[in-house]
Amino acid sequence: MNFKFQGKRIAGMAVVLPTRELSFLEEMKNFNFPESRSLKLKEVMGFNKRRVVEPGCCVSDLAVHGLQQLFDRGQLKKDEIDAILLVTQTADHFMPSTSSLIQGRLGLKQDMLCLDLNLACAGFVIGLMQAFMLLEQESVKKVVLINGDVLSRKASPKDRNIYPLIGDAVSITVIERDASGATIHANLHMDGTRAETLIIPAGGMRMPATPETAKLEDVGDNNLRAKDHVFMDGSAVFNFVQTEVPPMIESLLATAGTSVDQIDYFLCHQPNRFMLQKLADKMKIPHEKMPNNVVENFGNTGSATIPMVIALNFQERVQQEKMRVCMAGFGGGLAWASMLMELGAMDFNTTIEYKHKS
Amino acid sequence: MNKQEFYQRLAEILDAESVQPDDVLKQLDGWDSLAVLSVLALADSKYGASIKADEIRAVVTAADLANLVESKKK
Repeated sequence: MNFKFQGKRIAGMAVVLPTRELSFLEEMKNFNFPESRSLKLKEVMGFNKRRVVEPGCCVSDLAVHGLQQLFDRGQLKKDEIDAILLVTQTADHFMPSTSSLIQGRLGLKQDMLCLDLNLACAGFVIGLMQAFMLLEQESVKKVVLINGDVLSRKASPKDRNIYPLIGDAVSITVIERDASGATIHANLHMDGTRAETLIIPAGGMRMPATPETAKLEDVGDNNLRAKDHVFMDGSAVFNFVQTEVPPMIESLLATAGTSVDQIDYFLCHQPNRFMLQKLADKMKIPHEKMPNNVVENFGNTGSATIPMVIALNFQERVQQEKMRVCMAGFGGGLAWASMLMELGAMDFNTTIEYKHKS
Repeated sequence: MNKQEFYQRLAEILDAESVQPDDVLKQLDGWDSLAVLSVLALADSKYGASIKADEIRAVVTAADLANLVESKKK
């Protein structure tokens, strides 16, 4: 499905990182796994350091801290927020929505919309689309898109397939109208028949959490996981990305009448270095045009990875000049989405750290 | 599909000097989850074949693996 937007821009961005940092090689010592293989995984996949929340820390804690910092610095005003869109799969509660909790904790105005969107790694691009649609309304002047998860809390510490890869973070993106903004093209696809590729089986209404669903089960290769934990079919995800993402981006570029060499950067979701290099190779995109260094610094942080690619690689530049970028998110749902737009010059692009006190 | 070329690429993945058709994959030093993923990537990029990790783990010898990739080739 193709989308086209006019007259919108990203005014500013912030990434909120928990201060707690874990080292891949240190963690792998907890598994019965030869160090030589861990070193190889580090080299090929880029697993190195990651950030995870302290016990008890929720998405709203990171978001409230980040927004309060922006208010304190004068980069955003409380009263000008007309909508909060929160993309998360690890909400504070089933009810109410976490965006409402954020509104309440910050004392934002009542004349606004708070909306939670249950989306995975495609959630930054899809969240932007929703923000652009809201900005078609005259009364909506500024939308705050928040992306973030605390998925480390749902990963089994005894599951080598996923535990050492997950990072926690929140990104805050401020979107507004801009009459001089270039046309933005986007497209997206969804396939719910492959919903079980990435799933937390228990804890919802289909399979409520019980002592039984919390029991660790041997899932092969000395890995233990409970039904309460997140499951990822890694090879299915790999095949999904290599098969679906290149034609999506090619179609986006064709619709926009542009080509790879006219794009400054391809800012993709960051599952690991290996997958991104293979993706770049398949689309004949030079590796330096598709940064892949979020995982080695912070882990895979779900729908916040694209803002993190920007903050990590272009924090200064994006505040000074325009960059023509193609963004692509892909993951749980399954869902995959891409967007072609100009970034910059943003009013701010900042990284904020958060230490949780329980 | 050029089988010799496939065995050569498999050897590169396993950091081995060479791989013989009747080599049992599980007995090779470098055969681990990363090697499985690398074979997936090889099958996809060089042969246009989409294979599941479980299918790769189910085969016994290097020749079986070559046949699997060939059977999935588009």
